[in-house]
Amino acid sequence: MNLSFVLRLAWRDWRGGELGLLVIALMVAVGTVTAVSLFVDRLHQALIDESSDFLAADRYIGSGQAIPDDFRNAALARGLDISDTMLFPSMVFVGDDKNQLVSVKAVDGGYPLRGTLKTADVPFTPGSPTTDLPAAGEVWLDSRLFPALGVSLGDTIEVGFAALRVGRVLTQEPDRGGSMYDLGPRLLMRMADVPATQVVQPGSRISYRLLLRGEDSQLEALKDELPLEPNFWWRGIRESSPSIGSALDRAESFLLLGGLLGVLLAGVAVALSAHRYARRHYDHVGILKTLGATPNQILIGYLMLLFAIGTVAVSLGLIIGGLLHLAIVAILQSLIPMALPMPSARPWLLGAATGFICSLAFALPPLIHLRNISPMRVIRRDIGAAPPSQIISYGAAAAGSLGLLIWYSGSLRLTAYTLIGTLGVMLLFGVLATLLLRGGRVIGMQAGSGWRLALAGLQRRRRENTAQIMIFGLAIMLLLILFLLRTSLLDEWRNQVPESAPNHFILNISPADVASIDSMIAGVSDQKGGLYPMIRGRVIEANGVAAEEWEKRVRPQGGDGPRLRSGRNLTWAADPPEDNRIVDGEWWSADETRALVSLEDDYARDLGLSVGDTLTFDIAGEIVEVEISNLRHLDWESMRPNFFIIFSPSVLEDFPATYMTSFFLEPDKKQFLNDLLAKHPTITVIEVDAIIAQLRSIIARVSQAVELILSLVVASGCLVLIASIQASRDARMSEHALIRALGGTRKLIAGSLAAEFAVLGLFAGIVAVVGAEVTVAILQSQVFELKMNAHPWLWLVGPFGGAGLILLVGMLGTRSLISSPPIIVLRGLN
Amino acid sequence: MDRVVIKTADVDKIVPTAEGELTILDAIDLEINAGEAIAIVGASGSGKTTLLGILAGLDLPTSGTVVLGGAELTALNEEERAIVRGQQVGFVFQTFQLLGSLTALENVMLPGELRGEASAADDARELLTKVGLGARMGHYPRQLSGGEQQRVAIARAFASRPKVLFADEPTGNLDTVTGAKVIDLLFDLNAEFETTLVLVTHDDRIAARCQRIVEIDAGRIIS
Ligand SMILES: Nc1ncnc2c1ncn2[C@@H]1O[C@H](COP(=O)(O)OP(=O)(O)OP(=O)(O)O)[C@@H](O)[C@H]1O
Ligand SMILES: [Mg+2]
Repeated sequence: MNLSFVLRLAWRDWRGGELGLLVIALMVAVGTVTAVSLFVDRLHQALIDESSDFLAADRYIGSGQAIPDDFRNAALARGLDISDTMLFPSMVFVGDDKNQLVSVKAVDGGYPLRGTLKTADVPFTPGSPTTDLPAAGEVWLDSRLFPALGVSLGDTIEVGFAALRVGRVLTQEPDRGGSMYDLGPRLLMRMADVPATQVVQPGSRISYRLLLRGEDSQLEALKDELPLEPNFWWRGIRESSPSIGSALDRAESFLLLGGLLGVLLAGVAVALSAHRYARRHYDHVGILKTLGATPNQILIGYLMLLFAIGTVAVSLGLIIGGLLHLAIVAILQSLIPMALPMPSARPWLLGAATGFICSLAFALPPLIHLRNISPMRVIRRDIGAAPPSQIISYGAAAAGSLGLLIWYSGSLRLTAYTLIGTLGVMLLFGVLATLLLRGGRVIGMQAGSGWRLALAGLQRRRRENTAQIMIFGLAIMLLLILFLLRTSLLDEWRNQVPESAPNHFILNISPADVASIDSMIAGVSDQKGGLYPMIRGRVIEANGVAAEEWEKRVRPQGGDGPRLRSGRNLTWAADPPEDNRIVDGEWWSADETRALVSLEDDYARDLGLSVGDTLTFDIAGEIVEVEISNLRHLDWESMRPNFFIIFSPSVLEDFPATYMTSFFLEPDKKQFLNDLLAKHPTITVIEVDAIIAQLRSIIARVSQAVELILSLVVASGCLVLIASIQASRDARMSEHALIRALGGTRKLIAGSLAAEFAVLGLFAGIVAVVGAEVTVAILQSQVFELKMNAHPWLWLVGPFGGAGLILLVGMLGTRSLISSPPIIVLRGLN
Repeated sequence: MDRVVIKTADVDKIVPTAEGELTILDAIDLEINAGEAIAIVGASGSGKTTLLGILAGLDLPTSGTVVLGGAELTALNEEERAIVRGQQVGFVFQTFQLLGSLTALENVMLPGELRGEASAADDARELLTKVGLGARMGHYPRQLSGGEQQRVAIARAFASRPKVLFADEPTGNLDTVTGAKVIDLLFDLNAEFETTLVLVTHDDRIAARCQRIVEIDAGRIIS
C-alpha cells in the first residue's frame, strides 16, 4: 500500500463520516491541551510577575550586614538587574517640638525592579503611579506623617544629621510590609543621602537588601554560586510571603491537575473513537484481505492513515487551541486586569506531542489489531473479531498517560497519585457497575414496557455498558474532583484572609493603658482581636540540660530551625487560642495550679521536645521551671497573633507584662493611628493591611484562574461523554432498528433510550461520587494540605446530575436514531 | 500451465466446541481443472462454506493439503496466502460485501489499487459498464438495490483478473428473476475471462449450468 492509496482510503473514510469522531477527538485533545497550557503558561508567568511585585524584585538577598560588592558583581556578570535598599527605624524631627519614629527605606536608582510606586501631592489620596524616585536631598512621606509631623510639601525635616526636603506623598510601594524591622510609617529617601544622616553606626538595626531581576535560570545559578550561609538569606516570593507562596503553589498544583485531567479525558475520547473506528473496519479489513491485502500491508496502511490524520488533527488542533486561548484571554481581559506575557514554546510542543502520544497510546492498539482480522469473517461474521488484546490496549494507554502526565505535570508525585487513583477507581467502578447492572435487572422485572426494554438492553450489552458506566463515571468523577478541590481551595483562601480580619497589631500596651486603648479602638472599629499578655523570656535549660548543649544534641550539624536560647514573646492563657488545635497532650483546666506550658508542634519537633519534658525559663531575671503539657498546631498563614509558647496562667500572672491586641481598621481611617500613637506614645503598631490587601488581590486572581481551568476541563469531559455515546451508537442502532421494524413505536424507542441513558447516568453518578470522595480526600491531605471533609450533598447531586447529564447528551447524540425512518436505519447497518 | 488449478488431499476441518470436537469437513479429496465451472451443493450446515473458505485460502484446514494455482496454501503463512489471493482469486459473496463508505467505482477499483496498478480506475469503469452499471458508478452501495450491489461485487471480483472465482450462494439474497440475471452475468464473464468458477448454491437449476456438481453431506463428498 503506498501513501497515496492510503490517503485516498482515508479521504473516502472521512467523506463517509467514519473518521470524523477520531479526528475531532484528537483535535480537541490537542486543542484543549494547547489552550489550557498556553493559558496556564501565560497566567503562571503573569502570577509570578505580579507576585514578584510584592518583593519589588524577582528575588532578593537580605541581611543584617551590608551586601558585599562581590555579590553585586556576580549578579551583574549573569546579566541580572540589581538595586540596593536599606531599611531602618529612625526618629525624624521637625523644629524642636515635633518628632516621630519612622521606618526609613533608602533606595537606589532602578528601584523598584518589579511593581510600581504611587505618589500624590495631597495626603490620604490614592495617588498615581510614578517611575520617579526621590531626588537627592528629598524624601517622600507616608500620608500619616504629614499630620503627625505637621508638615506639608516643600518643608524640611531632619533625619539624623541630614536636613531633607519633603517632596511628595508616598501612597503605595510594592514591597511594603512583611519585615519585623518595618515598623511605623514610611519615609523613602535616596541611598546617596544616607551617609549624611549618620544613622548607620556599628550595631544599628539595619536590614539590607540586594534586589535582583532577570532570568529564572540565572537567578537560580546565582543562588548556588554565592556563599550565602549563614549571614545572607535568599528570598523569593515563596520564602518571603508564605501565604502568597502557598496560594501560588496550590493554584499551580490545581491548574496542573486540571490540565492533567483534561489530557486524560481527551485520551479516553481518542481511545473510544479509535475503538469504534476499528470495530467498524473489521469488515473493511476482511474484504481487503480477500482481495489480497496482506496483514503487513494492512498494518502499514493503518499506521500511515493514523499518522496522516494525526498530522492533520495536530495542525488543526494547534490552530484551534491558539484561537481558543486568544478567546479566553480576550474574555478575561476584563476579569484579570494584568498584562499577560508572551507564551513560551512549551504549550505548542505539549499540544503537538499530546496529539501524537494520544494517537500512539490510545488510537494505535485497536488499529494494530486490525492486522489480525481473519478474512473468513467475510463469509462467517462471528469469526475473526476477537477483541483487541486488553494487555496491549491498556498497557499502551497506561504508558501513554504516564508519559503525558509526567511531562505535563513535571511532578512524579502528582502523576503517581493520579494514576493510582484512576486505576483503583476503575477497578472499583468495574465491580460497582457490574453489581448495579445486576440489581437493575431485578427491578426491571417489575417495570413498565419502556423501562423493561431499556433494562433488557442494559443487560444484553452488559460488557459494553459496564465499560460505558466506567467511562461516564470517570468523566463525571474527574469533574467532581476538580469542582470539590476548587471549592475547598477557594474556601481555604477566603478563610485565610476573612473580609475584616484584623489588619493592625498593637504591642507593648502597659496594663494601665489597656482600658483607654480598648475604648479608642471601639470608636473606629467593631472588629477587635483578643487581648494577650506578653512578656519576654528565654529558655535556659531543657530537661535539666543547658539550652546550648541541648541544641547541639538535637542538631549536631547546626542548620535551620528555631533556636532554643533565643529570647521569645511569652504569653499565658486560660483557654487555648481559637484556631489552635491540640495535637498531643491536654490543655489545662481554668483552675490549674501546676506550672505548665504549651508549645507549637513544629517548634517542639524541631527542638526534640515532647509532652512531659521540662523547660527552665529565665523571665525578667527569675528562673521558672515548667512541664510541657501539650503541643498545638497553628496556622501560620492566618494573620492572627500566634505564639510558640503559652504558659498556664498561674505561672506568669504575677510578672509585670505588657499586652498585645489586634483590630481591623478601614483604609480611610488610617489617621486614627496618629491619634492613638499621640495619646499612647509607648505602644508599637504593626500595620499588616498592605500585606493583607496584596494577599487578597493575588488570591482573587488565582481563584479566577482556577475557575477557568475548571470550565475548560468540563468541556473535555463533555467530549468524552459524546464520544462514548457515539461509540455505543452502532450497537444501539441495530437493536432499535430491529425493534422498530418489529413494530416498536417511536415513542417506545425514545422512552427506552431515555430510560437507558438515565439509568447509565445514575449508575455512573453513584460510581463517580464514590471515586470523587476518596480521591479528593487523598488529594486534599497529600497534595494540597487542606482539611479533609465529606460532602453529603454530593450523594444526591452526583447520581441525579449524572442521570440528567447523560440523558441530555445521550438523547442529543442519538436524536437521528429516533427520528429517521426505520428503512434508513436498516440500510445504514451494512 | 497446470491443468489442475485446485487440488486438495485428505482435508479435515475440526473445530473445538463446548460439547467437544466437531468435525465439519472429513477427508475431502478434490481436484478442479482450469476453466471448469463446478457447483458445490448440499444441505444447510453440511460444510459448503467452510470448504469454500479453505479452497480459497481464507482459512486453513485442521489437516491435509490444499494447492491453488501451483501454490501450496497449507504451507504458506497468512501474509503469503494473501498475496496468492490477490493474484489468483476473486470472490462473490451472498451478502455482497461492498465497502459502504466507497462508491461503486471505488469498490471495483480496490483490487487494482491494492496492487498499485495505474489503470485501476479505467479497468473498473470498463467492468462496471460491462455489468450494466455504467451510469451508477458514483453511487454508494446503500443507494443500490441488492441485484445492483451484487453486480458491483461481480465486477470487483473480475477486476483482480483471477484464475479462480469463488462464489458463495451469490443469489441467496436475491429474488429469482434478479438472481437469474446475476447468474447469467457471472457465467458470461466467466466465459469471457476464462476463469475457473467454484460456486456454492442451493439452487438445482444454477448447479445444473456447471460442468460438474459436488455434493457434500455432513462434511463428506458423497458424489
Ligand atoms: N468456527 C466454528 N465453530 C463451530 N462450528 C462451526 C464453525 N464453523 C462452522 N461451524 C459449523 O459447521 C457446520 C458447517 O458450516 P457451513 O457454514 O460450512 O455450512 P454450509 O454448508 O455453508 O451451510 P449453509 O448452507 O446453511 O450456508 C455448521 O453446522 C456450522 O455451525
Ligand atoms: Mg454457507
